[in-house]
Amino acid sequence: MKKVVNIPLGSQHISLLEPIRFQFTTENEKIVEVGADVGFVHRGIEKACTEKFEWKKVGYVVARVCGLCAITHSLSYTLAAEKLLGYQANERIKYLRMLMVELDRIHSHMLCLAHVSENAGFEAMFMQIMADRELVMDIQEAISGNRVQFDFIAIGGVNRDLTPELVQRVHKNLDALKPKIDDLMERFTNNWSLSLKYKGIGVLTYEEAYTYNALGPLARAAGLKTDVRAESSYFPYEEVGYEMVLESSGDIYARNIVRLREICNSIQMCKNIVDNLPAGEIIEKVKGKPDGETIIRVEAPRGELFYLVRGSKKNLLDRVRIKTPTFSAIPAMIEVFKGSEYADAPAILASFDPCMSCTAK
Amino acid sequence: MPSRKIEIELKNLLTEIAAFYDAKVWHFITVNGIDLGEGKIELQWIFSKYGVKDEITLFYTVTEYETKIPSVVSLIPSATLSEREIVDMFGVNIEGAQKGLYLDEDSLSIPLRCSL
Repeated sequence: MKKVVNIPLGSQHISLLEPIRFQFTTENEKIVEVGADVGFVHRGIEKACTEKFEWKKVGYVVARVCGLCAITHSLSYTLAAEKLLGYQANERIKYLRMLMVELDRIHSHMLCLAHVSENAGFEAMFMQIMADRELVMDIQEAISGNRVQFDFIAIGGVNRDLTPELVQRVHKNLDALKPKIDDLMERFTNNWSLSLKYKGIGVLTYEEAYTYNALGPLARAAGLKTDVRAESSYFPYEEVGYEMVLESSGDIYARNIVRLREICNSIQMCKNIVDNLPAGEIIEKVKGKPDGETIIRVEAPRGELFYLVRGSKKNLLDRVRIKTPTFSAIPAMIEVFKGSEYADAPAILASFDPCMSCTAK
Repeated sequence: MPSRKIEIELKNLLTEIAAFYDAKVWHFITVNGIDLGEGKIELQWIFSKYGVKDEITLFYTVTEYETKIPSVVSLIPSATLSEREIVDMFGVNIEGAQKGLYLDEDSLSIPLRCSL
């Protein structure tokens, strides 16, 4: 006779970084049913964007949705506002914004890999990856003046330019980072605990990826060919060497490899961006007030970030709709948990790289 | 603006979405609500096309808050949370969508309905 046990994971749990609660129903330790509660840090940001803050300030408000991908939130809103104002940024502004978004992707992916390592028992490796991640944080701070909440993107441009010294620093730090990523790739590919143990665990199949609308590294690890960088024209990614990274097995191992390969691609893109930075102003005056409705999608580190903005030439917007990648990934996560061993749940969860601050907004 | 913005009648929602939605062609993004005042809400179901740049299709309908709205979860399983979010934020009545995704019992109720 099967022994049925209900086990909660979260909202506070040693393996969780942020508050989410999963309610697992297990039969002989195999997960058969999953419930998810995601609303522990709801802050009413969509409401604040339409009732408390004028449209010019909303970019700085939405940057506070998330500490890890703040730049993609402020970028998405800014692109939407600029579209409603009929403004198109020049190439230099696009390149500078693209640089910060790709640096953000590198450090966010590294954070995820650090936690995956920790879940496999590699606490020293967690600390090593976090230390190496400082190379990227250092560049972000040097460029934007901030490590995390860098309000770098503004309507009409960016707030700081890239000096020749900063270009050198980007090269120096990324050159130092690349061999460390290569080393990580070797460990995640060949180390027993990080590769063999994770192969076949937490599998999202190709069919499930479609059915549950998986996105970001979660989808690409299952072979689903989707990436907003290839499906939207907000940045000229084709000019800087963007390549879509795909794996096929859909397990924890594949998600780790997708992130590592994406870090390598982003490092190369960042170097190409600073080497080919077009001339031009970094910020331009934009007149008017947002009028109409527009949609912007940006590829955040965890996948598609969606903004719908509607305005009617007033200081306050009519609607700011934010749909974050982790929020969309939860149905796929639930499917992955079903059939898995409960003991694998923390590692599976870490491999999703969930961001609950984004999800609850 | 989305590439296509299609107005639908609520009674035809499921048949229209069923005819349109192929999970291997269209990526379901979200369900959205926009308060229009005077007891009315615009509901939107938004999709993007895989592998095609900037192709967004948005279905919308304008309805009253009291109207019973069919759920698209039978066609799009991943729409569950989006529907629950809209129920919390606007207080609409979507079939089978539970309250309480974000809001606790003592929270401000239906915060995005501007008239309240």
